[in-house]
Amino acid sequence: MQRQFFFFSEMGYNAYPEEEADKYGYTSLMFPNSIFDPQKARDLWQMFLREHEFASEMGFDGSVCNEHHNNVLSMQESVNISAAVLTQRIKGTIALIGNPLPIHDNPVRVAEEIAMLDLISGGRIISGFVRGTGIEQLSTNANPAYNRERFEEAFQLIKKAWTVPGPFRWEGKHYHLRVVNPWQLPLQQPHPPIWAGGILSPETIRWAAKQRITYLVLGSALDATASCREIYHEVAREDGWVPGPEKLGYLIHTSVMDTDEEAFEMGKYHYGGTSAIGRGKSTGGALTQGTGSAGASSGPHPEWAAPPGYISAQAKQGAMARERRMSEGTYEGAIKAGLIVSGGPKTIIQKFKHIIDRTDPGYLTFWAREGRKPHEATMRGIELLGKEVIPELREHKSALVTGKEVTPWPEH
Amino acid sequence: MAGTLNAPNDTVARLAGIDTQVRRGGSGTPLLVIHGELGVPGWLESYSRLSQSHDVIVPSMPGFGSSQRPDWIMSIHDLAAWITWFARDSGINTPVNVIGCSMGGWAAAEIATVAPQFFNKLVLAGPMGIKPSKGEIFDYFLENGMTGLRRNFHQPESSVEFQRFYGKELTMEETDLIEQHREMTCRMVWKPYMHSLTLANLLPAIRTPTLIVQGSEDRITPLDCGAQYASAIPGAKHVTVAGSGHAVEMEKPQEFAGLVLEFFKA
Repeated sequence: MQRQFFFFSEMGYNAYPEEEADKYGYTSLMFPNSIFDPQKARDLWQMFLREHEFASEMGFDGSVCNEHHNNVLSMQESVNISAAVLTQRIKGTIALIGNPLPIHDNPVRVAEEIAMLDLISGGRIISGFVRGTGIEQLSTNANPAYNRERFEEAFQLIKKAWTVPGPFRWEGKHYHLRVVNPWQLPLQQPHPPIWAGGILSPETIRWAAKQRITYLVLGSALDATASCREIYHEVAREDGWVPGPEKLGYLIHTSVMDTDEEAFEMGKYHYGGTSAIGRGKSTGGALTQGTGSAGASSGPHPEWAAPPGYISAQAKQGAMARERRMSEGTYEGAIKAGLIVSGGPKTIIQKFKHIIDRTDPGYLTFWAREGRKPHEATMRGIELLGKEVIPELREHKSALVTGKEVTPWPEH
Repeated sequence: MAGTLNAPNDTVARLAGIDTQVRRGGSGTPLLVIHGELGVPGWLESYSRLSQSHDVIVPSMPGFGSSQRPDWIMSIHDLAAWITWFARDSGINTPVNVIGCSMGGWAAAEIATVAPQFFNKLVLAGPMGIKPSKGEIFDYFLENGMTGLRRNFHQPESSVEFQRFYGKELTMEETDLIEQHREMTCRMVWKPYMHSLTLANLLPAIRTPTLIVQGSEDRITPLDCGAQYASAIPGAKHVTVAGSGHAVEMEKPQEFAGLVLEFFKA
């Protein structure tokens, strides 16, 4: 496959007063919604959608949308609605990363909505499924102790609804439907590409490999991402097949500006310690807390990120989780660990060549708008990515394939 | 009279379909203890006191302590059924005296509504299971494990039992066990949270002599829950223990054991 490049933004509600975040010490789950201002949110929606549109105009292959609940981190409370809007605003692929399956009591509704999106967009949909963050289990009252069971059962049900002619009956452990017979089926046959998004939970990586679906690394550091790929390939080897690059997606915080210095400054908006959103200000360390994580223990309310049973003992103690925690703490540390990739075009091209050499992702998604990063800087970043960075990276073959030396990480 | 860390007998045996941990001590009339959502950290002082005149039997519920977790137990009703199976497999002669603490009190009440022949007398300590008409049952799952534990006590700093089991740097195994108990609780009581929509309607059918004991400073289960139990179960009494939090069997062992023994004698 030819590597594809997507644009991602959480489209977060960044208009909350900083002093309110200071007062509560958190901006999720219990952060009172009396702070929400509909007028500001209306304007934010227009700005965020314009940024997606601009990415499409600048040559990105697609856009990525998401879903979170009770959280300023993202205003997308329905990933399917975001995707529906994007079908009308951008040209390329729309990847949903995705529908948090365990929070649904009727997964067939998800199958129906994805089919609608695929039909309306003319087959431009990638259907990602996720477990949802710990906070989502609490805010939607989905039992976290059954999170993985519900995720896997819902996945099987949706896949069956797309591939096995209805009507049929589903009698599972968590889902019971007398007549599964969704009228609309996806345009892409047998179904749109399926991604499983995750934050280094080894069970999810192994499960995705078993299902032979794409695993999307959500904002993790480079070393950990390389380990994910190894686990995936190991499972595939045991099962007797070789995954292509289309089986790995990599979503990474990206700050590109005209110079390294400017990019470094703008990258701070991606970090929990400044005005990036959805993070615990008090610790400033939980860079990826907003997407739920084995390393979320550093957030202000780790028990929200990891309600009982949500994170397995294996994931908690996993080497990758440790690696991740070690890199958290300061903005410089996050840059060093590769949690945020920053630089002017020349620098960042070299950095991404290094990343591609070590991980060979079929889908590279730039998390290129975050927090209170000014709109103008975001637009300039998108322009540089589209015009200068993506064309250089599109044809770059991974050292994992060519056997050549890994492009060195730039000195500065 | 202090408790000891370890029960006189602490064994794991195949009972009621799973490997079950049972702590047991004393001799005399059997007394079955159904623990609550926190599990059992050891041989409590109150057990010690009761074992002077009773054969005190404290199984770790499925998924608690070193008892196995079967996947099929997904509600308190399931747990209640398991408890009756456990009693049969353990050769406990019924009717038997029973103490049910907190979530274990809820399980005991479920059994009492369907199997009155199971009980001689029933003590419910801070029972869950009923939706309070005033206040709310504390939500364990919006707080961390230690916060929940502390909140079970009115004054954890001066509680001998709290200090003995939790007032120290906990080992990794101990903190894992706290999480394991939270997870098993979560599997059974997530929705509706810590109460049943049917139990309150069935309480008037109970014919078992019942005593409800609650700490006056209970910050887990509102006192209204105990009062509702007492007014719905014919002849039941609701007694509050001054200066105790929710875990009255741990915070006021002497008073708790005294009330229980007096009730059994009457």
